Amino acid sequence: MDPECSRLLPALCAALADPRQPLADDTCLEKLLDWFKTVTEAESSLLLLQENPALVELLSHVLKSQDMSSRVLSFSLRLAGTFAAQEDCFLYLQGELLLGLFGEGGPQCWAAWSVPTVRSGWIQGLRSLAQHPCALHFLADSGAVDTIFSLQGDPSLFVASAASQLLVHTLALSMQAGATGCSGLWDGVWPACAQKIMGHLEESLQSTAAPQVTQALNVLTSTFGRCHSPWTETLWGQLCPLVARLLERTPIPAAHSLVDLLLSVARSPALSSSHGRLWEAVAQALRCLSPMQAGSLALGMLKLPHCPQALRVQAFGVLLQPLACVVKATAQAPGPPGCSMWPPGWLDGAEGSSLTVDTLLSSKSACVGILCQTLAQLEELQPLPQRPAPWPQEPLLGAAVTILRLCHGSATSSSSGGGRLCATLAGCVRVQRAALDFLGTLSQETRSQELEKEVFAVLSEYLGSPDSSPTVLKKAFQTTLRWLLSSPRTPGCPDLGPQPLLFLRELFPVLQKRLCSPSWEVRDSVLEFLTQLSRHWGGQADFRRALLASEVPTLTQQLLQDPESYVRASAVAAAGQLSSRGLQAAPDSPEHPQAQQGLLGELLCILSTDSEGFPRRAVVQVFTEWLRDGHADVARDTEWFIATVLQVVSQDLDWEVRVQGLELAQVFLVQRLGQPRCPYMVALPEAASATPIPEVLQSLCRLRLFDFAFRALLDCDRPVAQKACELLLFLKDKTAMCGGLQEAGDIPGSASGQVTLQRWRAGEQGQLPGDLQPEAMLALLRSTDLEGLQARLAQSSDHMEKSPQSLLQDMLATVGVLGENEADCY
Amino acid sequence: MLDCGMHMGFNDDRRFPDFSYITQNGRLTDFLDCVIISHFHLDHCGALPYFSEMVGYDGPIYMTHPTQAICPILLEDYRKIAVDKKGEANFFTSQMIKDCMKKVVAVHLHQTVQVDDELEIKAYYAGHVLGAAMFQIKVGSESVVYTGDYNMTPDRHLGAAWIDRCRPNLLITESTYATTIRDSKRCRERDFLKKVHETVERGGKVLIPVFALGRAQELCILLETFWERMNLKVPIYFSTGLTEKANHYYKLFITWTNQKIRKTFVQRNMFEFKHIKAFDRAFADNPGPMVVFATPGMLHAGQSLQIFRKWAGNEKNMVIMPGYCVQGTVGHKILSGQRKLEMEGRQVLEVKMQVEYMSFSAHADAKGIMQLVGQAEPENVLLVHGEAKKMEFLRQKIEQEFRVSCYMPANGETVTLPTSPNIPVGISLGLLKREMAQGLLPETKKPRLLHGTLIMKDSNLRLVSSEQALKELGLAEHQLRFTCRVHLQDTRKEQETALRVYSHLKSTSLMAR
Repeated sequence: MDPECSRLLPALCAALADPRQPLADDTCLEKLLDWFKTVTEAESSLLLLQENPALVELLSHVLKSQDMSSRVLSFSLRLAGTFAAQEDCFLYLQGELLLGLFGEGGPQCWAAWSVPTVRSGWIQGLRSLAQHPCALHFLADSGAVDTIFSLQGDPSLFVASAASQLLVHTLALSMQAGATGCSGLWDGVWPACAQKIMGHLEESLQSTAAPQVTQALNVLTSTFGRCHSPWTETLWGQLCPLVARLLERTPIPAAHSLVDLLLSVARSPALSSSHGRLWEAVAQALRCLSPMQAGSLALGMLKLPHCPQALRVQAFGVLLQPLACVVKATAQAPGPPGCSMWPPGWLDGAEGSSLTVDTLLSSKSACVGILCQTLAQLEELQPLPQRPAPWPQEPLLGAAVTILRLCHGSATSSSSGGGRLCATLAGCVRVQRAALDFLGTLSQETRSQELEKEVFAVLSEYLGSPDSSPTVLKKAFQTTLRWLLSSPRTPGCPDLGPQPLLFLRELFPVLQKRLCSPSWEVRDSVLEFLTQLSRHWGGQADFRRALLASEVPTLTQQLLQDPESYVRASAVAAAGQLSSRGLQAAPDSPEHPQAQQGLLGELLCILSTDSEGFPRRAVVQVFTEWLRDGHADVARDTEWFIATVLQVVSQDLDWEVRVQGLELAQVFLVQRLGQPRCPYMVALPEAASATPIPEVLQSLCRLRLFDFAFRALLDCDRPVAQKACELLLFLKDKTAMCGGLQEAGDIPGSASGQVTLQRWRAGEQGQLPGDLQPEAMLALLRSTDLEGLQARLAQSSDHMEKSPQSLLQDMLATVGVLGENEADCY
Repeated sequence: MLDCGMHMGFNDDRRFPDFSYITQNGRLTDFLDCVIISHFHLDHCGALPYFSEMVGYDGPIYMTHPTQAICPILLEDYRKIAVDKKGEANFFTSQMIKDCMKKVVAVHLHQTVQVDDELEIKAYYAGHVLGAAMFQIKVGSESVVYTGDYNMTPDRHLGAAWIDRCRPNLLITESTYATTIRDSKRCRERDFLKKVHETVERGGKVLIPVFALGRAQELCILLETFWERMNLKVPIYFSTGLTEKANHYYKLFITWTNQKIRKTFVQRNMFEFKHIKAFDRAFADNPGPMVVFATPGMLHAGQSLQIFRKWAGNEKNMVIMPGYCVQGTVGHKILSGQRKLEMEGRQVLEVKMQVEYMSFSAHADAKGIMQLVGQAEPENVLLVHGEAKKMEFLRQKIEQEFRVSCYMPANGETVTLPTSPNIPVGISLGLLKREMAQGLLPETKKPRLLHGTLIMKDSNLRLVSSEQALKELGLAEHQLRFTCRVHLQDTRKEQETALRVYSHLKSTSLMAR
């Protein structure tokens, strides 16, 4: 431990032990504990206690006087546990202290035990100390295990959960301690502590009280999830019949926890030979659980690589059932084509069919719940390699389209079930969003022309409908993008397929309308969609024709003046992208005078005047892309462009804009000087196109790029300084071979440059001399310890918040100072 | 889920709620109908982008229009500090904040919003900060009111919280000032102005670290009015960019401010300050007195810290902390009296300037909380957002005064409330006619029993005559007669015994009457 901390500890312990000294901040104790954990991980706890007797005094004091605040009591229990995690320290504290803190006559008898924080501290303390065989004996002998059992039902969620986790840990530790030989095999007799826990679990599983069953199931789920030793197989063998019996009860108790347990056992690598009984239990559960609960189990099973085929068929049937029911209920004629399209076998064994129909039709919330869950589960399953094969792409697509139509009100049904579904789902945003997400996932598969037509038709309905909510529209745009970009093209032909082409014609009028939406969320989603689409299809002739024939480019440019900053930022990105692709609004458009000054001018205006950071950041990003791609407006006079942008950016209050400005400068430097040298790369001759270094340096001086970078080096925002450091190091590296330099002090302007740098460092204003020569700049570059600065900047700048001394000082300084202030959070 | 805040005191996982307590394996969206955000302070909305964009909640989020507009500014500020100062890479991004805000459904005051078939919500004015709202959440005939943070006394720019007599089953109220009856607001303001004035009079500089929006505007109005009245010429500056931003939002949401501001808005916008100008970094070095409002409010980074470093060494200067600071920040250190601060690079900064703490947070005090309970007339009260000891005092007061149960669960603790829900039952016309034929019409003051059979069909309950019930359910009627044989041992004659038993039973039944 740091000697300074050691010096502060006695005073702090005394303050903690004094109930009249309230601590100002409850996070301090947490942080203090974090620090002790770090210290004890690195050094001996026993030594620590011996060198700092104040710590033991504090713990002894807790035993003697329990009128301390519950926070300090809880802290002390956790602290004692942290120390006792090391066996020698455990033995040192074992006598009166640990028994008093964790034994039967301990905190349970204190008045403060009624405070959940104290109970939680007690459990966490035990959890920390339970690391070695001595601790195990202590747990068994002190009666702590019985208390843990009772705390499983604690009214505090945190205490109950921690108690369950402690049981899992104790069981594992106990079995580990009972294991013999290097193989870690357990010798057949359960250790006493484990037997006790087992007995408790068996009893709980047979209980008629659902909470008790839930507790036992949760403990077992964590056990099988965490412990993969051979003894878990024996454990399952013993408890499996009890678990199976739960499935025979009506209603099935703790169904959620039961599903979790079955999945946890199925995933355990230690249980390969006991799977027979597990599969039986799973099959039974899939049959008798409600469709909602069975869905989660089915998905979990289908994700397993080693699930038997029969069970996979059953599980997939469970997932498909709700969609099949919807398709069946809404089919117009008997013997619906939708239903017969499902692959043979998958729905044969679906005993839950009538149950699913009942659930779907019972109430709106049940119907929405099961459909959303099923769609999300199928969406999760679709990209997995272990998904069922053949994947029923067409019926699933059909079902998704049907559901979307039902929600939109464009599907009708003459059957009573279908009619009820229409009424239930009409306008349901939750299902619309889930179905659109699912539809998007299905775009990754092959599809028939006919179905693709259907999909685009339904997407058109959604994009054009005035009833679509902004969140639904956003999903609709995302799904549309996925379908458009994955649309198959004729090999060797650059044209779009017939469906996307037809769709595009309808799309642009819709986009035009949506760009004028009163909802900023909608305008923003359209612009994001447009940016993405033009990024991918900007060179595509059909797309260009359709876009340019519409008002979309003009409207996009108009949105640069949108009142909402998010929209302005998206408009900047979209307009930048369109311009890169030569798709900008016609400059001679009389309605838009801004177009006359050109997009570059307009973006520069946003960069220097917009009050929000998002649009300004978007502008610099667009400029960087333009510079990279050699955009015509930039290429016309790159130096002017760079100088203007950097001048504006250097004044920006948003550090992210300044970082991006440096990024732009770096792209410029790379274009002039070539890529940075990689230490592992074979040295290649410099690219012929790279400009000679002195010439480049001259231009950098003209552009005041040095000024910008050196000022950024001392920026109060760390990322700016880091980026500037990176840029200057790159420059230093590139100019390292540039010879013929005099000593820094001999160069005119170099000394004044140094002085300016020092003044900046002291936080003062000022500028580098404007007429600095490249030599002076180079000298300045070489005389600055950039490597050292980079190393310093790499560390987080909030060391003050993190350092233990600072914490101890703060805690001590606060003692008795703050009264009213503490409650005054905002 | 009511609010989705963060803990400013932690820099690791502990700063956000542990959402795995909602579900460990399932999708969060399946477990929540919606999220409701009461106002834009980070302890109420700071975890929202994390929750919706990183943990995966994809359902609706409700908040008022001003909260939706201002929330991203504070989240963005917080993100920038986390990324800048602490170099955190795995943090929510600007895009995530935007995507999260796009999921928001903005609500108007007193507008009943139907979340789904069963759940409806309604917002009420809460004062506290611009756009803060209390929410009534209703399912069937049962309801809960969640206050968020609120203020029952109007201040210079906001009105007082108000709710109608909605008689919820449960009122969940904040209790920051559970035991405090706050000193007169005027006193606090006078004190503040006096300190600022004295400092600038003797040529010192005053730094007031604030968060971008909220209390800062209140203090600005206060200083602006004072400067005008006293005809002071000393410059007052506000962090650049923020004045415009704040003005924009206060203008946009003028209906959310108090009556006085709304009334005078046409002649003069209270938020367009004459004396308060935008701050430039270079101004900090200017000689002479000045007052600067700079962000962030805890002096832990950025402009406020930069100015503090420059001015700390001069005893003529003053820093006024108008709010709470978490451990580790410079704000916390100077408030606890530390005067030698070790800054980056082991540099020691000696603080000679004066340090003042002055609370301007706008929470209801004990009196205000009691007032709200009286207004809403809840059946039960639950105290949150406060300290256990203080809550205990308030709990007793509420239980005594209003004769309702009051709870104060610890974090994570479950409270179960018994309620008696009203279940609507339809009565069949036949049954009602039959009862009316008997001539006794039911009245509100004279309730009378009505016998029938309760049947449930398609989640609807109906009371019908037993004949109709049998008919509708297709059941046959059975009659059960219960008999009981009693052995009496009496030597008297049979008839005499019967007579005695009869008179005995008659007398007991008379007595029972």
